Amino acid sequence: MIIDSYDLPDGHTLQADVCIIGAGAAGIAMALEFAGTGIEVLMLEAGGKTAESDTQALYAGSVADARLHSPPDRYRQRQLGGTTTIWGGRCMPFDGIDFEARDYVPHSGWPISREALLPYYARANPLCEAGEFAYTADEAFHRPTRPIIDGFASSHFSADTLERFSCPTDFAARYGHKLDAAQNVRTLLHANVTRLQLNAAGRSLDHLIVRNLRGKSFTVRAAQFVLATGGLEVARLLLASRDIQQQGIGNEHDAVGRYYMCHIAGTIGAIKIDKPPSSVWHGYEISDEGIYCRRRFALREATQRSLKLGNFVARLHHPRISNPDHRNAVLSLLFLAQLIIPYEYRVRLAGAGSTRLTEWLEHVRNVALGAPDAAGFAWHMLRDRKLAERKFPTIIIHSKANLYSLDFHAEQQPNPLSRVSLGAEPDALGMPRIRVDWRYTSGDVDTVSRSVALLADDFRLQRIGTFDYDPDGVEAEMTRYGAFGGHHIGTARMGDDRRSSVVNADCRIHEVGNLFIASSATFATSSQANPTLTVVAFALRLAAHLKTLLARPQPRVATTARADASHGAAAKPLQTEPVVCGDALCEHT
Amino acid sequence: MKARVLVLGATGFIGQRVLDALRSCDWASPVGASRRGADVQLDATDAEQLRRAMEGVSAVVNCVLGNSRTIVDSARALFSVAGRMATPPRIVHFSSLAVYGEATGDVDESAAPVGRLSAYGAAKFETERLAGANPSIVTLRPGIVYGPGGAQWSGRIAQLLLAHRLGDLGRGGDGYCNLVLIDDVVEAVLRALRLPTTEARAFNLSLPDPPTWNEYLLRYAAALGAVPVSRITQRRLRLESTLLAPPQKIAEIIAGRLKPGLARRLPQAIPPSLVRLFRQEIRMKVGLAEQILGLRWTPLEEGLRQTALRYRPRSANSPAANSYAPH
Repeated sequence: MIIDSYDLPDGHTLQADVCIIGAGAAGIAMALEFAGTGIEVLMLEAGGKTAESDTQALYAGSVADARLHSPPDRYRQRQLGGTTTIWGGRCMPFDGIDFEARDYVPHSGWPISREALLPYYARANPLCEAGEFAYTADEAFHRPTRPIIDGFASSHFSADTLERFSCPTDFAARYGHKLDAAQNVRTLLHANVTRLQLNAAGRSLDHLIVRNLRGKSFTVRAAQFVLATGGLEVARLLLASRDIQQQGIGNEHDAVGRYYMCHIAGTIGAIKIDKPPSSVWHGYEISDEGIYCRRRFALREATQRSLKLGNFVARLHHPRISNPDHRNAVLSLLFLAQLIIPYEYRVRLAGAGSTRLTEWLEHVRNVALGAPDAAGFAWHMLRDRKLAERKFPTIIIHSKANLYSLDFHAEQQPNPLSRVSLGAEPDALGMPRIRVDWRYTSGDVDTVSRSVALLADDFRLQRIGTFDYDPDGVEAEMTRYGAFGGHHIGTARMGDDRRSSVVNADCRIHEVGNLFIASSATFATSSQANPTLTVVAFALRLAAHLKTLLARPQPRVATTARADASHGAAAKPLQTEPVVCGDALCEHT
Repeated sequence: MKARVLVLGATGFIGQRVLDALRSCDWASPVGASRRGADVQLDATDAEQLRRAMEGVSAVVNCVLGNSRTIVDSARALFSVAGRMATPPRIVHFSSLAVYGEATGDVDESAAPVGRLSAYGAAKFETERLAGANPSIVTLRPGIVYGPGGAQWSGRIAQLLLAHRLGDLGRGGDGYCNLVLIDDVVEAVLRALRLPTTEARAFNLSLPDPPTWNEYLLRYAAALGAVPVSRITQRRLRLESTLLAPPQKIAEIIAGRLKPGLARRLPQAIPPSLVRLFRQEIRMKVGLAEQILGLRWTPLEEGLRQTALRYRPRSANSPAANSYAPH
């Protein structure tokens, strides 16, 4: 059932077997796993059922360099469904190499392999409404599909792997009815966690302090807690709870908030393909299940190893929109439409910087001269995107002149100097706001520079066409719009070494016996892949782990009467972790 | 001597298949009865006609179709005639998943109906009430009976999938589709006919781990070649069921009166009851049918293969028109 903290009496105590903090992709995926079991779950959502500006304002913070990172209240939503209410829906799993310790990627290596995640990926995919877990053209299609460029075959890049698209599914709209119907899962709205209260020994989370914007405060007790917020908020909550552990929870070795990664992305160069336009297909194929799938150029694992490069993918893309010289009515229409496109999508579409009046006029002229094309495109966007539940994912413009640019998305290396920390200014609930100091390294520039060069060489050697770009301008292009928005990774990373990680292979904070994290914060490295699918897979894995944990007889340390008025069930002993050492529970699945 | 078995509603989908199965078995001598087109023509709501047809039979299978009134009246007549016979015949009576109303979760045979019953569900519920705890009556509650020839759940759904009026229903298709293949239903009847009186009771019939409607529609569409499956918006489902379904239903009735068979060629309606069923997260527990009737279920894959062979359009057997041909 879904309840609202505004309807609860001030000072109320709520209790559950499992408390999930955050009802986004991870939280909802976990809650659905527990629905219908005998496990009592309480999921706390800071926002309401729709976006509310005063709640969203609690996400505001500062950035060290506004050119390199978007404001912290952008690309994340404090509401039921979390950022799935605005996401783009691109799904792809991490690659095997992403989990490996690579000597050429500092701080790389996970304590688990991709295989440990595969059973959960298979279930995460349909949950995200991205169809079956099939990420190569051969697996996903039982018919021939169009190659990106006919005849392109490279030992460096595979053009056979796919990205698949979710609707994009808003987890609240899609699964809200299940949360509402679940008798053993309570979702509490307007429940902002303001403190994670450890017990005196600091080895177990005792309770949470929860507040709302109408001045009420609540206590939440549970046997197991899961922090299922986004990567920025994980760091904020851990760092802000510092009464028992003065550096914050899990931060004995100053790892919380560090190693902050997004992705390195950009659009570069001018590609002219010397083949008939019909031999180029950079758009989508629709699988039998109706899923939009798209091939991309993916840097092969063997090439990554031999050339010591990070992970990298790229797609053919339309030329830069903001420059009216492309003489394309559709691109100019998009440029002019930027005023009605949400911020999160506008930034990379329309380009940064101001536009001169003459440029605006040239765009208007392009639209006027190519009115039928522009009208056809507008109809396609209306029918296939605006009115559709499964939305046409991105803008695809086939160039009759075979002119493209290269859109790339690359792994960012873990870097302890790239970090999220607490600022001095508090929000309306007294929580310190975050300060984001995102940094990239020369290794990141190197991955993009050499990967782009490899692809340009492949095009030249295979007589695909020309790929002109300025090798000295790669760094400028990959940082033109700053860190890729919305991918907040690594702030509570997974590892075996407590000095450089925050959670263990079970996603549990090393030092705390009953506090787990389901978030991209736990990713030790960033891969080339967008994080949501992997976040959901980890959430499903954690739910399975917690079910096993709760099925086991637990030492009953404390008994607290159930003070929860909204729940008529008989009082039930609270199960608490032993205070001795949390590592007793450290059994890797 | 072979047992004389009367099959009521013998020209319907289930009745026809039950009759065929009995004809090919070595222990029964079946007689089909229906309003028209059967061995015996009768109005099953008329007790006197029934009494005559039931003379000398040792069992009756009640597959009578019709509106609520026909369902209730025919059951009442059947049970009362049978009760007056010197040796009451074994009755295998068809009820339905619909008797559970709006129940959700796992339901076994002892579950009480929840919420509002549909007219059909209420009629079937009433027939079960009339049957009472009669040891000669075995009640079967099938879920969604599918298979070649099943106009309602196979033909209709195939037509809607091929027209892309059904497909991936998103949140509208999270309900469970308690499928049971017609062959398994027929097998259940054969076993129920020979069940000892001490074991007579109601049995749920469904695949034990049913797919959701979304999963089923996707798999059925793939088997039919109705791909890529379309995502059907909630808006469209609402429109179909509230605005389009009523006039479609009226057109169907008029067409049926004008010319037999004409109604089948009209576009199928998606009534609100169907939209509600797609959402209903109810799963029938079928342990009793497995243990007492000894039923084993045909896997969905096999059932779908047989069904799709019947409804797959000929054009879909050729490679998809939009496939890529290498240069």
